[in-house]
Amino acid sequence: MDLSINWSLILPILILQLVLAVIGLISLYKASEVRGPKWMWVLIIIFGNMLGSILYFVIGRKDA
Amino acid sequence: MRSTWIFYRKEMLDMSRSFKLIWIPIVFAILGITQPIISVFMPEILEMSGGVPPEMLSLYETPSSAMVMVQVLSQYSTMGVLILVLAGMNSVSGERHGGTAELIMVRPISSFSIMIAKWFAQCTQLLIAFGFGYIASFYYTYQMIGSLSWTSGLASFGLYGLWLILAMTITLLFSTILRGAGAAFVTLAILALLSLLNSLLPTWFTWSPARLSSLAAEVLIGNTLSVSSVIICCLITVGIIVVCLLSAARLLQKRVLPN
Amino acid sequence: MSLLQVTDLKKNFGKENAVRGLTFQLEQGKCVALLGPNGAGKTTTLRMLAGLLEPSSGEIIFDEQQGVTDYRKWLGYLPQNPTFYGWMSGQEYIRFAAGLSGMEQKEIGKRTEAVLSKVGLQDAAKRRISGYSGGMKQRLGFAQALIHEPKLLILDEPVSALDPIGRREVINLLREIRQETTVLFSTHVLHDAEEICDDILVMAKGRLVEQGSLSSLREKHRQPLVIVQVEREREALLWLDSLKSKPYVIQADIKADIAELTVHDLGSARDELMREATENRIPLVRFEAGSSSLEDMFVKVVSAQ
Repeated sequence: MDLSINWSLILPILILQLVLAVIGLISLYKASEVRGPKWMWVLIIIFGNMLGSILYFVIGRKDA
Repeated sequence: MRSTWIFYRKEMLDMSRSFKLIWIPIVFAILGITQPIISVFMPEILEMSGGVPPEMLSLYETPSSAMVMVQVLSQYSTMGVLILVLAGMNSVSGERHGGTAELIMVRPISSFSIMIAKWFAQCTQLLIAFGFGYIASFYYTYQMIGSLSWTSGLASFGLYGLWLILAMTITLLFSTILRGAGAAFVTLAILALLSLLNSLLPTWFTWSPARLSSLAAEVLIGNTLSVSSVIICCLITVGIIVVCLLSAARLLQKRVLPN
Repeated sequence: MSLLQVTDLKKNFGKENAVRGLTFQLEQGKCVALLGPNGAGKTTTLRMLAGLLEPSSGEIIFDEQQGVTDYRKWLGYLPQNPTFYGWMSGQEYIRFAAGLSGMEQKEIGKRTEAVLSKVGLQDAAKRRISGYSGGMKQRLGFAQALIHEPKLLILDEPVSALDPIGRREVINLLREIRQETTVLFSTHVLHDAEEICDDILVMAKGRLVEQGSLSSLREKHRQPLVIVQVEREREALLWLDSLKSKPYVIQADIKADIAELTVHDLGSARDELMREATENRIPLVRFEAGSSSLEDMFVKVVSAQ
């Protein structure tokens, strides 16, 4: 299998993951209060892939 | 009518400001796209991870595009449902326990209007997320693996969407009674029980709403469904949704304030 | 003209009787304080009037002439700790509240601006509520209660949680509002009631114990009162204690060396007491003749809890 085809297929996923992490970080930056320390969520969002961002949105965010 | 619309707009504004309108569709899309890619590149992935004998790899056969879509639906049955339930669990309980409900319910709006507005807002969110994910996944599968029937894709989308709407409605109902986490737990338990009964005793529970997900899968594979059983299943699900909404409205009316 | 008529209103929470039968009327245009110690049932009463709690029994009739059953359109309500959507701006919240109360779109724009500047939030109108201070949230609470020009404004302890400056602001605001609409607010401080209103309802243990205009109640509770303090000597203390059985004393409150005596007639009681004290050579420390006040009545109600 040609590697270039491979990338063009996977790229959208990477972009989506990136957008997810970026809006997670924006939301975190804007939030006045989150559960637990903010730096911890920064690490979780950046290194936790999709699951990290989901965890932040579901658990970290306080609905205010 | 007008207050329902105003409340719906407020719900949608909340969802967009809390990024729910973006992150949930993205997650659904990632789940939907990952499945066909993994199916196609399974041999390469196994090779890279090593330790798999080459003769095993050569035996691997890329599943049909219909099978891949069925796998996508099963992803949505676990991760997708979990996310929708967790994202909706505070919808009513947050307003009751947070105190915002107190200031709403002194205004001339009925609890039924509030529940309907919340339900439509959740439906909007759900259909955007599921629609976006499903289309992305359908397109990928179509391009990478092979053609799929549009009509069966659409039918499957409808049947599975109804199952997701039921999950969301149950979340909304328990959100009016319990606190967020409790509501999510009870909802997930009920959904799990429905699915379990459906898979253990399929002949007994032909009418069960959980049949919707198996019907959605069968439609994709190309099995012909008995129209009457589809109609019965859909009607029962719609009935349950209506009953859930009416009871939620009644419960909210009785207990605006937390004890 | 009576705006609100409450008849034998009761509320039980399980076995606990929070409100045990209230009957009263609110006249249009009046400002009435619902006064009572904590736990008297004030909040429960106000929540029933606002339609948030279903009464166990009793009747609430709003504006009998109009014959409306759902009077929430004409009601403004401010709970003790108002909570808003932190993700909205103050202006968005007021517009949302106005819409729910059925106001026309054109009207909403004008009224929102007017109400926000009235409570002094015009500069913060476009900021997210999550960044508001406690005082600002209280003022936003007033704005949402006033936006639809309600006929009746119900406020639950609007001043008690505020610092002195915030308190002053709210009291001034209330004085302005009472010119425009009927106000019913609860408080546990008599002084607050006196500063804002002319009518009070006094609640204790779920019952109304007193109601009327402040001036008439002051008159009613103005009873002749003599306060006698003696040296802490055995003879003197015995004499002080014996006063409670004198015919001219209605009620005696004796604590060690001080006696507070409510009497029938101030003049004759004073003469009698002075004569006895001289005859028995009682070493007086203090002798005061005056009258009891509304405060005394309220303190009695509170301490009876």
